[in-house]
Amino acid sequence: MRRLRTLELSAFGLPSLLFLGVFFFYPFLEVLRFSTWHWSGFSAPKAVGLANYRELLADPLFWQSVKATVVFALWVLPSFLVLSFLVAFLLEGQRYERAVKGILFLPGLVTVGAASTAWYTLLAPDYGALAALFPIPAWDQDPFWAMLMVVAFSLWRYLGYGVLVVSAHLKAIPGELLEAARVDGASPLEATRYVVLPLLRPAALFLLVVGSVLALQSYVAVFLLTRGAPYGATRVLGYFVYQLGFENFRLGYAAAVTVVMLVLTLAVALAQGKLLEER
Amino acid sequence: MRHALVAVVVLLVLLPFLWMAYAAFLPPAIVYSGDVLSGFGFTLENLKKLAPEGFWPRLGFSLAVSGAVAFLQVLTALLAAYALWNGVRLWAVFLFTLAIPAELLLVPLFGVLHQLHLLDTPWALVLPFAASPFTVLLVYQAMRGLPFSLVEAARIDGAGEGRILFRVVAPLLFPSLVAAGVLAFAAHWNLVLFPRVAVGERYWTLQVWIADLARRYPADWGLLSAAALLSTLPLVFLYLLFERRIVETFEGSVKG
Repeated sequence: MRRLRTLELSAFGLPSLLFLGVFFFYPFLEVLRFSTWHWSGFSAPKAVGLANYRELLADPLFWQSVKATVVFALWVLPSFLVLSFLVAFLLEGQRYERAVKGILFLPGLVTVGAASTAWYTLLAPDYGALAALFPIPAWDQDPFWAMLMVVAFSLWRYLGYGVLVVSAHLKAIPGELLEAARVDGASPLEATRYVVLPLLRPAALFLLVVGSVLALQSYVAVFLLTRGAPYGATRVLGYFVYQLGFENFRLGYAAAVTVVMLVLTLAVALAQGKLLEER
Repeated sequence: MRHALVAVVVLLVLLPFLWMAYAAFLPPAIVYSGDVLSGFGFTLENLKKLAPEGFWPRLGFSLAVSGAVAFLQVLTALLAAYALWNGVRLWAVFLFTLAIPAELLLVPLFGVLHQLHLLDTPWALVLPFAASPFTVLLVYQAMRGLPFSLVEAARIDGAGEGRILFRVVAPLLFPSLVAAGVLAFAAHWNLVLFPRVAVGERYWTLQVWIADLARRYPADWGLLSAAALLSTLPLVFLYLLFERRIVETFEGSVKG
């Protein structure tokens, strides 16, 4: 009877396993095979062994794209962490905390297409609505400002999530701890520095990991705002893959880049596992 | 000081929304004057121009596919979460899929859909998203908040597992299921690149269609803003309706 029930309960997991199997694990394995092909998506694929990987290592565009991804991550991660902490601290215990959190969360849900349209018409350098009020740097031509634009857009989208994570951890800190610090003569600033911040380390680590994964995959913003321009300065790896596969029709090569990205993501995920164990 | 900083953050976050709502009703004459802040005006012309571009059927199609995906995701997640709750050891599988963003699999997924002859069919927009580890996580976290004695009591009464799940557990989880469904709906609604490569123009979702509209009419901001506004409204509406539940469900998932 018990075993029969266990069997029945296992069956409840089947639908999701089936879909994930076909549309996640199977592609996950197939990408290895695809990466050894010359394949345009239309013609029959041709096996070429490791040629794609050899080409990859010598491809300046690939390395430029790696650099763009690293630069993007170096911009976005620290600012994401600092802003999430800052806003969570500002909001803590205020009357409007809930309402503001709700608003901050909105951009993450709202259509990227619509959001980027609004951003573009607001901030286009020559004729955006804000250009009438103050000069806007030419982010369509200047690599530095183009990157900043993509970073700002990503922060705008995910800040609400970061604030929610920090705030959830902040609320888990027992009030007695702060009370004890106060009794011991710590100023509010000292209490924050020596009691609260160390306790929020898990939140910071969590955001760092989530942020790294986001940095590796964030190419929709690039697609909609800059298309990798100017001169490939914002062509992050995710967008590089899209261009290779679906604009240049080199799916085999794109698969090889995907494999590299999967390895990187798994490394990050493994680090995540280690960090979470530490907790 | 504190309030002023919060006000600045809120204003910056809301600015694109406010602008979108404003520009959608801006007369073309002002848009094309080159100085959009030169005058005020109100017109429904932009909204009317959307119909001949084929906006409305596209909206209906997108609502249908994203709705189907949200329904399937919640259903598969409910079943999987119940198995997990009863001690079936599947957690590692979902944890692994959770660590790899599905966006990374764009290229091989295209290849697999090609093998399955699903490319350029509406199925390509639905089936790959029928199960999501993230939705499983949300539903599982909510389910763990219920007392397990509910299940045991129902078993003693002789109820079958399916009956327990759908008649006893699911109704209690209803708010969380709705929240998970809204998040699933939003995630699918927002896909741009995947539908673009998986299906032809016939089955483009609203988002892909808007990206294309922006390519065809790059300077007609009134039209673009109107399309953007109307494509955002269903989500904003759903979000406002269930805001509290959504934020709480999300918070529950990050407490870890």
